[in-house]
Amino acid sequence: METGAAVNTGHAAAGLRRKKEKMYITTIKRLLKNKLAVVGLVIIAIQVLMAIFAPWLATHDPIKQNLSAAELPVFSDGHWLGTDNYGRDIWSRIVYGARISLVVGIVSVSLGLIGGVVLGLLAGYYRKLDGLIMRIVDLLFAFPGILLAMLIIAILGTGLINVAIAISIWSIPTCARIVRGSVLSVKNREYILAMKALGASNARIIIKHILPNCLAPIIVFATMRMATAILSAASLSYLGLGAQPPTPEWGAMIAAGQAFMWTSPHMTVVPGIAIMLVVFAFNVVGDGLRDALDPNMDINQ
Amino acid sequence: MSQSKQPLLKLENVKKYYPIRGGVLRRIQGYVKAVENVSLDVFAGESIGIVGESGCGKSTLGRTILGLEEATGGAIFFRGEEISRLPERQRKKWKKEMQMVFQDPYASLNPRQRIGHALEEAFIIHTNMTKAEREERVLHLLQEVGLRPEHYDRYPHEFSGGQRQRIGIARAIALNPSLVICDEAVSALDVSVQAQIIKLLKDIQEKHELTYLFISHDLGVVRHFCNRVLVMYLGHTVELAPSRELYANPLHPYTKALLSAIPRPKPGAKRERIRLEGDLPNPANPPKGCPFHTRCPVATERCKQERPEWKEAAPGHFVACHEVK
Repeated sequence: METGAAVNTGHAAAGLRRKKEKMYITTIKRLLKNKLAVVGLVIIAIQVLMAIFAPWLATHDPIKQNLSAAELPVFSDGHWLGTDNYGRDIWSRIVYGARISLVVGIVSVSLGLIGGVVLGLLAGYYRKLDGLIMRIVDLLFAFPGILLAMLIIAILGTGLINVAIAISIWSIPTCARIVRGSVLSVKNREYILAMKALGASNARIIIKHILPNCLAPIIVFATMRMATAILSAASLSYLGLGAQPPTPEWGAMIAAGQAFMWTSPHMTVVPGIAIMLVVFAFNVVGDGLRDALDPNMDINQ
Repeated sequence: MSQSKQPLLKLENVKKYYPIRGGVLRRIQGYVKAVENVSLDVFAGESIGIVGESGCGKSTLGRTILGLEEATGGAIFFRGEEISRLPERQRKKWKKEMQMVFQDPYASLNPRQRIGHALEEAFIIHTNMTKAEREERVLHLLQEVGLRPEHYDRYPHEFSGGQRQRIGIARAIALNPSLVICDEAVSALDVSVQAQIIKLLKDIQEKHELTYLFISHDLGVVRHFCNRVLVMYLGHTVELAPSRELYANPLHPYTKALLSAIPRPKPGAKRERIRLEGDLPNPANPPKGCPFHTRCPVATERCKQERPEWKEAAPGHFVACHEVK
């Protein structure tokens, strides 16, 4: 909201209003005190920068073959991470792969969040819908994650977009459960009753009063889920269900490098390390956020 | 209070039962009778205290009147119009007329909302005011409850309990209601803060011609605040009388026991403390006859069988007890 509007009403006293400190600033300050989370944030920042500036950071065209320079080891001239069996520059492929894994992660987590948050809010708030929605969620839970994703890809066909959709569907049940749980703990608080007493509509209560108070677990879930989503996307691509060659996808790069494990281990190790670092980063940041958002630390700081 | 006037709020045999479900099929196995046959006339401008121990149904009664809980039986009339069976949509216009101040000042404000926005919400829901008009009203409200304009942008956790309760009061009076239900509004506060909040409630009552239903377990506070007092036990009304009369001349043995438990400031003063034996009976399985007979010091055989009638023992003094002639 705008403070300016109050000043316009002519209240001299309104000028006394002190500068607002947003709640998220406190959270960020607290997150930055956690060293591991800072390491994670740096890694994520690097990935984001790589994703955005891929064309400038890459030294070569990531899909251009050069058989005369195939299987160069790391720290070769002009290819500091070496080349693969077709002579493609691995550094350039990693840089473009960062873009792919980030986009697949963001798309699948956002889709999963939309579905999960909506279902969770409805199930938690409306008792009548609770049974139905949670049974559907239980049904989705009954499938092992990767199997469910494979099933969905079998229906939709292979490709990165379908991988994102498959992973998002698999995220829905967990998200719905988390949101439902927080809604249940929030919806009987007195401030919700006060809003009902004022005659607020259900939509208003859910969006303005319940959702903001369920945000903390949703944010933590989304961050942790990024790690899972990136890992799953890489796994599915490794299995040949996601990115198709010659797309520079990390999981697909590992799959391609397998056959050359003895002669050129860097073909598998480099993308493996990339996946590991990113998954590690999202996990520790998620952990850090969980601590930073803990409401019990709210008042003391 | 003249009895010929139309009451602002009229309760007729209001009941609120909560089903107890059990077994695999979640069938209803019984009911917790939280409020049982409560009848009461509330006239404009008075303050009625509703007292009783925890679990006697006083808060449930307040919420049922507001429509936060659906009454199981009986009828609630507001300005002569029945409101207990209205569909949600039509209730909205009455919601402006009745508001509530909640018990826990720490739980009754949304922790993620600046208090200025929380107060504006009433106007967003019920009026078409512009943002500037709403802000003006909120700043005025803040001043009225003894807060300052710079509090507009703060979050609830930046306030003390007493200040939060002032915010709760501001929210309740925002739409100029005629009835405000104070559900243990001062119980969570320090004694010194209690006094300030009670004074604020009184000032606001005079200014806005409010009617209060003051739910409390603190008989000392109720004595100074209310014109009439209703005593409840296990969902039943047991006694209703003007405050002065009730405190000077309690008729029901339960009221006598409650009054004898008020701490006296004079050390060494002689007083007779009536101790009630046993616990509050389970409201899912209330005793037959008079609900109080299991703990009553003067209970007779008749009390175990027959439910006492609600009768007028003295002008304006109602009681439900066989032993009161």
